[in-house]
Amino acid sequence: MSAVFSKDGVRGLRISWVLLALALVTSAALAAGSYWFLQQEKRDAITLAKRLQQSKARNDAVKREIEDMRASSTVFQDLLDRGILQEGSRLDFIERLDQLKNSHGLINLEYEIDPQRVLTLADGRVFNALDVMGSRVKLRLKALHEGDALAFLEDLSTPKRGFNAMSRCHLQRIERASADVSSPRVEASCTMEWISLKDKVKANAS
Amino acid sequence: MAANHILYLTNTILVSLVANGGRISQRKTFPVSGGGASAFEAHVVGLRGLPTHVITDLAEEDFRLDTIPHVGSRDRQAVMARKLTQVFRNSTYRHAIAQGREPDGRRDHRVVYTAITNDEILKPWVEILQRLEVPVEGIYSSAVLSGRLLDALGLNFAHTLLVTFNPGGAVRQTYFRGKELRFSRLSPVDLEEGASLGTFLAEETTRTWQYLDSVRYFSPGDRLEVCVIAHPRDRAEIEPVLRDFEPMQNRLIDIEQAAGMVGMKPPPASSSTEALLAHVFLRRGEHNHFASQDLRRFAVIRRARIAIQAVSVAVLAIGLAYGGWNLSFLLQVSNKNQQSVDRALAIDAERDRLLKSIPSQGVAGQTMRDVVAFHSGSMRAYPTVASFLLPISAVLDRYPDIRLSQIEWQTADDEMATPTLVPIAPQAAPPIKALGPGKASSPATAVRVAAPAEGSFVTGRHAVAILEGTVRVDGLGYRNALEQVRNLVDELGRLDGYRAAMIDSPLDVTPKGGIQGKFGERTPASSQARFSLKVTLMTRPKP
Repeated sequence: MSAVFSKDGVRGLRISWVLLALALVTSAALAAGSYWFLQQEKRDAITLAKRLQQSKARNDAVKREIEDMRASSTVFQDLLDRGILQEGSRLDFIERLDQLKNSHGLINLEYEIDPQRVLTLADGRVFNALDVMGSRVKLRLKALHEGDALAFLEDLSTPKRGFNAMSRCHLQRIERASADVSSPRVEASCTMEWISLKDKVKANAS
Repeated sequence: MAANHILYLTNTILVSLVANGGRISQRKTFPVSGGGASAFEAHVVGLRGLPTHVITDLAEEDFRLDTIPHVGSRDRQAVMARKLTQVFRNSTYRHAIAQGREPDGRRDHRVVYTAITNDEILKPWVEILQRLEVPVEGIYSSAVLSGRLLDALGLNFAHTLLVTFNPGGAVRQTYFRGKELRFSRLSPVDLEEGASLGTFLAEETTRTWQYLDSVRYFSPGDRLEVCVIAHPRDRAEIEPVLRDFEPMQNRLIDIEQAAGMVGMKPPPASSSTEALLAHVFLRRGEHNHFASQDLRRFAVIRRARIAIQAVSVAVLAIGLAYGGWNLSFLLQVSNKNQQSVDRALAIDAERDRLLKSIPSQGVAGQTMRDVVAFHSGSMRAYPTVASFLLPISAVLDRYPDIRLSQIEWQTADDEMATPTLVPIAPQAAPPIKALGPGKASSPATAVRVAAPAEGSFVTGRHAVAILEGTVRVDGLGYRNALEQVRNLVDELGRLDGYRAAMIDSPLDVTPKGGIQGKFGERTPASSQARFSLKVTLMTRPKP
């Protein structure tokens, strides 16, 4: 061993020691570099796996959405035909009230239409793409027969276009004071929501 | 087998043998006198990188036998070294070999000390080797090495005299007792006139036997096996002359056959055994005999260089292997990653295609979903007054004595909701009326429960109504009136989706309340008793 570290040894082994050092450095660099790249690739793999999962999830969501839409499209088309996304015409509504009053032989009909407002649903549901708009309509009517009043209210609640939701109604028999058969026998006082929907997406786009 | 340089030094010439791959690939001789040394130096320059072994076959090599007490290994080495110094005080090239132990007595160790008694013979060659920094692995005694040759040739006898020719024109006779070297001498072949090599050998071996016998190496009946290694060319000259007699038997070993036995190719071209010994030495190996540490330092440095380079290569190989191992995983992971990217891109492309294929119907998909959801959840089964009252009306038709006076109806999310009703007193009040603790003398008043906030829109999951009416009471026929109202409640409750409960009975006859009556001279023929019911309809269950 002393020969290795003697003057001759140091001189004769100088290149070998340098080669060993180079080998150590190269080997360490190779090992560390390849390990670093492998770990980097593994990290990328985790990221890509998440991205793939997200892509799959988004794809599944789109597929579900398409299925939902296919199932809903018929219903939606009917609703569109009924003008669910159109702002109702008050003039049409008033004319319709008059028409129904006459067709059901109401003796008296008074109404009051409140300004339209955004309805909040009592069950807390919120629609991202829609605003549920409602105009509260208060009605007071008198009829000869309760059947006329009920038929009027039924026709009013199920219009061909638009949606009316009768939320409250008070029906009361009127005791006749005289024998006049033309005097009303029933009076009703009702509250109704005249509903239309507003497309928030379209509104924001425009 | 790596290349080796073997120098076989005799008293007259130095033979340089280069062994490569187990074969002697080069042979060159140099005279020990004259210009031999300078020619040798020029020759060695080209071979200075090879590990070099010097085998001496010199007349100046002396052998001494000795015994030392049995001690531990380290102590034995120390004793042997000390005795070696004592025996060969003036020699640089000396060596001690522990050969075995005495069979009896203290069972001492038998030791043979050997040395080259004249350093000057080796000096010029060693100086050249040192000057050229030749890695000298060791200096070996040919006599000691010849024991290896005996083993290799299977010449294992109780008493063996190995007779070999050296390239310097001399014959070495080495005596082995069993496998232990006991004696060796070198005789120059100096044939007298008329004498042959055979007669020379016969005389020399006989003389050696006489010497060995004189120092009592033999017991009665012992026989010395004289093994002469010679080339077939010399056989005719030697064989006829060698005569066996009782204590000595001659065996002429063909050097070509001997070479075949030890795997040496090609066989030596003469009787000189240096190549054969060199071959056996390279095959079997031997520890250094005579060379000092200082003389061997370049060999040590060479070995260290090889070791460092081997370590360097190993380190590099480990790095490369680990790097390759990582790289293989990296490629696998990278390949998987690329597949993941491709799959993600394919999925994204599919999603884009699907999104483009979504039927828009003029609105965004979310809008469509929300519209349908709102309709399904809030509007589709929204109750109406007429649809609520129609089944009730059909039931009431079966109760002619019961007449409704007012209805308070509302939609609700909760069936516990109860509309407010202002009671109407019947025109023909009954003579008896209940006085409830909470109701005092007034008719039942409903309680508003959890009415939805102003502006909020109830989904109409339930329709709730308070029905107020009267039942006809004939005289004091309250039993019948109560029965009718109870039956009405029961029938309404049996309607599909309906529940009915009485709020105000025509007459509360439970003990908790009071009753107030007023009878005149005559009991009235009939009167109207007021009652109220709560009827609920569940249009759809909670989602």
